[in-house]
Amino acid sequence: MKLILSTSNLMTSGGHTVIRQASTEKSNVELINSLRSNFQTAQQLSSAETTTTPRYRAWTRETEDGLYIPAIDFAQRGLAEEKAQYDITVKLFYLPGIPASRRCAHTREAIDLVLKELHVDSIDLLIVSFPGILFDAEDDSEEEVESDTGSEEPDDFDSMIRTWRVLEDLQEKGMISQLGVAEFGSERLARFLPHTNVKPSVDQINLKDCCVVPKSLILYAKSENIQLLTHNDCMDILPIGTTRELLGPGEKGAGILASTPDADDGIQGDVEPQWVVKYTAVVKDRGVVENKGYFALADMGTCVQARED
Amino acid sequence: MTVAESVKSAVGLADTPGTALDWPEAKKRADQVRKWGIEQLLANWRRAKGKERDALLWGDEVEYLVVAVDDEAKKARLSLAQAEILKSLAEDEANWKSGGSNSIQNKEHDGEDPPHFHPEFGRFMLEATPGRPWGIGFKDLLKVESNMKWRREVAKSHMASNEYPITLTTFPRLGTKDDYIQPYYPPSGAALRSQFVPDEIANPHIRFPTLAGNIRSRRGRKVELNVPVFKDTNTPEPFNDPTVNYDLHNWPEDDDVRNGAAKEGHVYMDAMAFGMGSCCLQITFQAKNMTEGRKLYDQLSPLGPILLALTAATPIYKGFLVDTDVRWNQIGNAVDDRTREELGEAPLKNDRWRIPKSRYASNSTYLSQDPRLRKEYLDPDLIVDEEIKKRLIDGGMDELLATHFAHLFIRDPLVIFSEDLEELDLNKADHFENLQSTNWQHMRFKPPPPEKDDIGWRVEFRSMEIQMTDFENAAFSIFIVLVTRAILSFDLNFYIPIQRTTENMETAHARNAVLDRKFYFRKDPFSPRARRPHPQSSTNGEVSSATSSAVNTPPPSPPLKPVESEYELMTISDIINGSADGSFPGLIPLVESYLNSVNVDVETRCFLATYLDLIWKRANGTLWTGARWIREYVASHPAYKHDSVVSEEICYDLVKAVEEMSVKEGKHGSVGWELLRGKK
Repeated sequence: MKLILSTSNLMTSGGHTVIRQASTEKSNVELINSLRSNFQTAQQLSSAETTTTPRYRAWTRETEDGLYIPAIDFAQRGLAEEKAQYDITVKLFYLPGIPASRRCAHTREAIDLVLKELHVDSIDLLIVSFPGILFDAEDDSEEEVESDTGSEEPDDFDSMIRTWRVLEDLQEKGMISQLGVAEFGSERLARFLPHTNVKPSVDQINLKDCCVVPKSLILYAKSENIQLLTHNDCMDILPIGTTRELLGPGEKGAGILASTPDADDGIQGDVEPQWVVKYTAVVKDRGVVENKGYFALADMGTCVQARED
Repeated sequence: MTVAESVKSAVGLADTPGTALDWPEAKKRADQVRKWGIEQLLANWRRAKGKERDALLWGDEVEYLVVAVDDEAKKARLSLAQAEILKSLAEDEANWKSGGSNSIQNKEHDGEDPPHFHPEFGRFMLEATPGRPWGIGFKDLLKVESNMKWRREVAKSHMASNEYPITLTTFPRLGTKDDYIQPYYPPSGAALRSQFVPDEIANPHIRFPTLAGNIRSRRGRKVELNVPVFKDTNTPEPFNDPTVNYDLHNWPEDDDVRNGAAKEGHVYMDAMAFGMGSCCLQITFQAKNMTEGRKLYDQLSPLGPILLALTAATPIYKGFLVDTDVRWNQIGNAVDDRTREELGEAPLKNDRWRIPKSRYASNSTYLSQDPRLRKEYLDPDLIVDEEIKKRLIDGGMDELLATHFAHLFIRDPLVIFSEDLEELDLNKADHFENLQSTNWQHMRFKPPPPEKDDIGWRVEFRSMEIQMTDFENAAFSIFIVLVTRAILSFDLNFYIPIQRTTENMETAHARNAVLDRKFYFRKDPFSPRARRPHPQSSTNGEVSSATSSAVNTPPPSPPLKPVESEYELMTISDIINGSADGSFPGLIPLVESYLNSVNVDVETRCFLATYLDLIWKRANGTLWTGARWIREYVASHPAYKHDSVVSEEICYDLVKAVEEMSVKEGKHGSVGWELLRGKK
């Protein structure tokens, strides 16, 4: 069973996510806090209908896509003005430990959700974040970070290329105007570009607290007409343990997962996050962020290999 | 391009404006001007209220003092060469437009329109605006500082070699007994009747002497500025301003000082030039429509006093260190045309109201048709012209906006040209602007000019003091722009009762208020979670102020808490940087959070980081304000006798240091590092 987690629009959600983070800390506070707060709000709104059991059924909705947590009414208006007024940027995080073979389907799922949410039929920029690539501004050599368990191979180059083909296909279909990558250093870019039909027009890097960008990257990006953009997203944006805590029965949890392996107060099985997507809709001429949010998808099942993280 | 049009003192300066009416002739026509102004406003409002989707355009206005440095005599004087400099600048600009070569040409600024220069009230002042308004494109933000530097260079290139445009708010020795102006004119003319400054200190265009003269006539005496002197160890006690002459008998107004105009313990000044001769940093924004303009007006209003204290740069008047850090109230007093009756010093007989504030003061109204605007935030004692309000409401305007303009229109027009009173032209805004532009509040709400289709509703943020370097001026300009984007993106709510903002404005005057004082500020700037409701529950959760028609109707739930519990006293550091306990997020973290939500290129983000860092450190005291730096400069000057007096010699060195700072910007331990870098 699929669980579709959503934050709703962070811009109007009461500021739980505006926190000055210690600049050295790469944090996923924004995603986790906004998911939690969105769940709580939905729970509170549904408190009149507590007769439903298990309780979560009152504020979630099961459809053929999966279980929406919380329930979403896609009939609600998307953006205030017509699409041409906006720059819509989507960043898709492929998560560590998830087979690259699933990315084709994941990409479709993620983009479809965003299009449905914003009531648009295309987006302006899709940035993909491959797991395990960490750009280091000091020496311009991205590290290949081992995933948490150490049992996975770092994302290999061939699977990146294969994934890129999927994106190029979507771009050709007109669903996406521009493609981008995240955390690529100049070497990786140089290796990557010859294999692409559609070049990335953006490379998004995390500058941490310093504004030190390797000259080689600046020059290379300039020569290849690639825009260097900044971000402050977390590398491992949705670890399994955090997901379990978010959805679990405990005090901080949403009560989606069963409390014990034989209880019927929630869904049985192991939870495995598959991907996270962040979307923003910015009014072009005015620089106003009208909508920003996340979707995350997690699989439930006994077939999922249980792991510690 | 008039987003950043000059609005301070004049609506426009035609070469042959006609016959300016003196008081009390002007007074007789006041009702007509108001009436016509309101009809023009209504016509314009009807035409422009549906204007939609204007882009964000914004402009900054930087004002300069022109100083002439005399290295031999070790004197710095104000240069009255405004007219010649402007003429030469205008010739250059015309030349540029026809493709000729001249001093404006500059490779770095290829593709940028040459800056505009404007006259100001003081004949020793210049104002410069960018050639074209800025957009929100982040590339534009990168150009602001270099464009400001360019303006300074262009201005300088049209001055004598010993003249400099400097960005001090006030000239330290304006109005002293020495020859602080060049060419020199002795004080006391028919328009200002000041015992300290000559009429020649003001722009000679008939509008300016008429403005000054009519303020004085309407008021019934000279304007009166008493600024508390800074009591240093050797300052005489009691302190009676030693520069005041009690024995003058040239004008009836010379009696003012004999009637107690000069207060003990204060530096006394008596002319409009002491206020309107101050330099400010003003930012004007174009909103997407009227609704957004009204929202920005309201939400920026509580920030006015905060930014005033944070940009404090005015610790010297007329050769004395004073005990206040900012210019604001001095300007208010310098253009205060209220009569004794209006001031409450005499029983109301001829005048209609007692008026609590000068025409130049913090604003007194909120405008936004925002459900979050509680009626408790409004001033219950607001003075409005009920007849005008009724006319506006009958004309279709909503109550809030009608109240705002009916409040501005309690004033008399000060400069009236008889030729303009022959026929009412509803396609112009001259009569409306006559009142609008002589209401110098810290926020200004500007309707689109009727003759220009491409300009939308605008809001002007007016409280900031000019900073000594363009780096700082760019930083504060861009900060305010980013704050407006955060306000709109997060739908922030900074509402507090407007009287608290008035109090904050007073607080901001205190010496070192930036670190030592606390300001009323709203505790929670976020709106209650206005969100998509559960599918089973009802109605639109999406916030769209554009469609909101409710005025002053409280949201249905949860029940509102008492207004007093919504705000508290905070330090500037808490407001700007966020409180230590996390209860208030802080304007800079909000701006950063906004920047994290938009696509910003690396170069821009790093640039912006240096600006935000400056403001962050000003707020927490790591870096000094301009006011503090000037005080320290004077205090540590070998010629300073700790008697509050800023001598000609100190003034000369200070002006030279400020000029140097505008070039070196405190780099490598150069002058001013304490307010720009924090380390040598």
